Amino acid sequence: MEWGKLLVYHRKKIALLCVLFLTALLFLLGRYCYLIAVKGEHYSTMAEELHERERPIKAKRGRILDRNGRVLADNRSVCTISVIHSQIVDAEQVIDFLSQTLSLSPEFVRKRVEKRSSMERVKSNVDKAIGDLIREANLPGVKVDEDYKRTYTEDYFAGKVLGFTGGDNQGIIGLEVSYDEYLQGTPGIIYATTDAKGLEIEGKGERRKEPVDGADLYTSLDANIQGYALLLAEKVMEEKQAQNVSILVMNPKNGEIYAMVDVPEFNSNEPFVFPEGVDTFAMTEKEKMDALNDMWRNRLVSDTYEPGSTFKIITATIGLENHVVTTSDPFYCPGYIIVDDRRIRCHKVRGHGAQTFVQAIENSCNPSFVTLGLRIGVDRYYEYFERLGLKRKTGIDLPGEAGTIMHQKENMGNVELATVSFGQSFQLTPIQLLTTVSSIINGGTRITPHLGVKAVYEGGEGVVFTYPEQSGMISQETSETMRFLLEKVVSEGGGGNGKVEGFLVGGKTATSQKLPRGSGKYIASFIGFAPADDPQVIAIVIINEPQGMYYGGQIAAPVIRQLYENILPYLEIQGYNE
Amino acid sequence: MSILPNKKKNKNEEAYFDYSLLFIVLFLLGFGLVMIYSASSYSALQEFGNESHYLRKQLISVILGLIAMFVVSCVPYDFWKKFYILGYILSAVLIVLVLSPLGVESHKARRWIKLPGVGFNLQPAEVSKLCMILFLAVLVCKLGRDIDGKKGFLWMLFSPLPIAVMIWQITDNLSSAIIVYGISLVMYFVANSHYKYFILIGLIGVVAVAILLFIIFKTDLITGFRAGRILAWKDPEKYSQGTGFQTLQALYAIGSGGAFGKGLGQSMQKLQFLPESQNDMIFSVICEELGLFGAFVVIFLFALLIWRMMVVANNAPDLFGGMLVVGVMAHIAIQAILNIAVVTATIPNTGISLPFISYGGSSVIFLLIEVGLVLNVAKSIRFKEG
Repeated sequence: MEWGKLLVYHRKKIALLCVLFLTALLFLLGRYCYLIAVKGEHYSTMAEELHERERPIKAKRGRILDRNGRVLADNRSVCTISVIHSQIVDAEQVIDFLSQTLSLSPEFVRKRVEKRSSMERVKSNVDKAIGDLIREANLPGVKVDEDYKRTYTEDYFAGKVLGFTGGDNQGIIGLEVSYDEYLQGTPGIIYATTDAKGLEIEGKGERRKEPVDGADLYTSLDANIQGYALLLAEKVMEEKQAQNVSILVMNPKNGEIYAMVDVPEFNSNEPFVFPEGVDTFAMTEKEKMDALNDMWRNRLVSDTYEPGSTFKIITATIGLENHVVTTSDPFYCPGYIIVDDRRIRCHKVRGHGAQTFVQAIENSCNPSFVTLGLRIGVDRYYEYFERLGLKRKTGIDLPGEAGTIMHQKENMGNVELATVSFGQSFQLTPIQLLTTVSSIINGGTRITPHLGVKAVYEGGEGVVFTYPEQSGMISQETSETMRFLLEKVVSEGGGGNGKVEGFLVGGKTATSQKLPRGSGKYIASFIGFAPADDPQVIAIVIINEPQGMYYGGQIAAPVIRQLYENILPYLEIQGYNE
Repeated sequence: MSILPNKKKNKNEEAYFDYSLLFIVLFLLGFGLVMIYSASSYSALQEFGNESHYLRKQLISVILGLIAMFVVSCVPYDFWKKFYILGYILSAVLIVLVLSPLGVESHKARRWIKLPGVGFNLQPAEVSKLCMILFLAVLVCKLGRDIDGKKGFLWMLFSPLPIAVMIWQITDNLSSAIIVYGISLVMYFVANSHYKYFILIGLIGVVAVAILLFIIFKTDLITGFRAGRILAWKDPEKYSQGTGFQTLQALYAIGSGGAFGKGLGQSMQKLQFLPESQNDMIFSVICEELGLFGAFVVIFLFALLIWRMMVVANNAPDLFGGMLVVGVMAHIAIQAILNIAVVTATIPNTGISLPFISYGGSSVIFLLIEVGLVLNVAKSIRFKEG
């Protein structure tokens, strides 16, 4: 058998083959170099993203303080319990243990344990002691993260103003919502290196981005005034068996709110717990939610009402501004007034008889104010209604402000004008009324009522909040006249119960009949400010559905008197008047 | 003959032993074991609770392979001639056995057969590569001058076809089929005295691939598994969740290794991000841990190995020996080139292991047997000068 010899061409071809193979390898080396040189960084970054798992570090929520630096809302350490599916060894043990220690139903825990996600939260806001217990049990796949929970210094204090936070430490109502962006801070991140299943690799080191804690919110609230107003409101609510009582105390010059009370208040630390006596058993989820929303509702901001006689302040102001009335103008009240086909009664059935304008406002005489309203006329009245800002929202830094419900101008005839003149047939919020009255007595500057003063981050940096002010709403002269008139109401007229020894107080009472008329339900209210010649503080009290005596002058004015008896000396000591 | 080292050369025409070839192979094997341990220890710990699970199995295969290599290197290669038809039949039978109850499925493919009583799974495709080299080397000698004619054409191109098709269809292993047929083409190329036909075949191949790629990229006429892999090759990031996943993971490894590497044992991608990190994708772990240095060493060693085999082939005492070495050279070169090309996303993803380095018992044992053949051919080189 001839097996053949290697011929020259065989050798050439073998050499050529070798060259081809080596060329291919060289090419691949080049390709590799291209990859690391040109695309390396790109792939490297993507790979890092793939290997890193981000774990957030909660930022501490900023505190809320009153104007004197008293802490109203703080944080305490709590724990968040999570499970990591891929790391769990004994699922049953984890379910058993967690459902027992956290008092959760085993089904609830099982759902989370069996979910194939990178990390599943089981419960947040767990007491630190329980969290430590779980951490010590050291079950694979169970993660305990330190967290903060909002706590409020007082249970029942200013819940509707401060608001509260949810499970993610986000604001749900009140200032917690409106200043959430400052309070929240920026969460930090732990970048942990993990394998493909999400298992953290020991010793690979983790990068951290430190969290930026939220800013402390300094408010204009004064805890002392708030506390005292709360006491008064609760007292009068109980005495008068009222549905609720609201008190708002404000600086009429700049709109800083000193106190905002709307009883019954709820427990800020347990915002989802109904007061005793509320039967939630028969409620559907929706009814429960509605009931909660009602409980959290800040009526000073979110509810409108017919202001009644306190609105005569605005009618008088419009009349003075338009020079259709002077303080000495004579009015006559026979106990009623006929407007078109309507007979509008005065609250004094026998009538006030002949009186000057000063006396008319002291007596809160309806026919006189109807006369004045008609003198002003729909056009001018409406123009001023809008100019004074009554149709806009006040812009208070609380969520959920309600707007004014007012007649359309084209639908407004003499009857409507007549009723509006003494504060009926339309609705506005108490905050709107108080703000408008403030701008009347402070010399004509429309102010923005507010609570937030400044947000201060750790280290001192921060933001001082500014609020729009618009001066020249009315003339200084009118403003001065109004202060004089309202002081007269307290010193000589129906607001006599608002008198405070040693201080000049101006004010106006109101008793509004709730709809439907004749239901026998009333809202008694009083607006008072002091000192009357240079107002430093203004307050409104609204008593909703008092039992028995229901006149604002009888039951509301004394509340403001008691408030002022206490806080006027206090404000002087505090130097608020400077 | 001057390129041969002078070592072991004497006037009595004493046997020459190619130590450089042996050392290159030993180095690759040792390097491979280190890298298999590095690439697989994490997965092995996770899956088997023993981080040296893969290392141990591979070490046993390497020892078995080295023994086989030594034995084969001592048997005059002429001895194997008579088994050429038997080898062909054997590979066919082994492939078919995959379908029998002896067949073993792993990684969603049925490619192995269980050797009863040994506890070792054999991949018939690896056997057929060796058998095909032997068969074609004998065939080339038998054809003699006919290799240049129609007879040679038909025999050389069509006799390997059944085995290649069986590997492809029965064991669902296109890569091995391509390698078997690639080896055959290379051996035909060397045995044949023509050039222009091969240039023509090469051109036709390039055009065909271009047309195929055009159809896949620009139209929807061809879809399915293979087309998907080709699309993913072009844009791995777009198909990162599916067919492009492995390619992209390999690129991540190469990218994060950079020029200097992360250091031995420091690969992140081997933490079960990179599928088959100890197997087909081991080169990317080498790149990630050792950077340019590691990649260069591996490529350089393969280049050296190919060059050594070229030297042995060119100095083989006869055509049969030369063709055997050419076959082995083609096998190792094609596999190494394709593997590195896949890892660097130069060609579409297809499962090809890196010779001597990747994890895989059958592969390393039969590669070492082939090295044994080459060593024996090298031994038979006679030096007449002196």
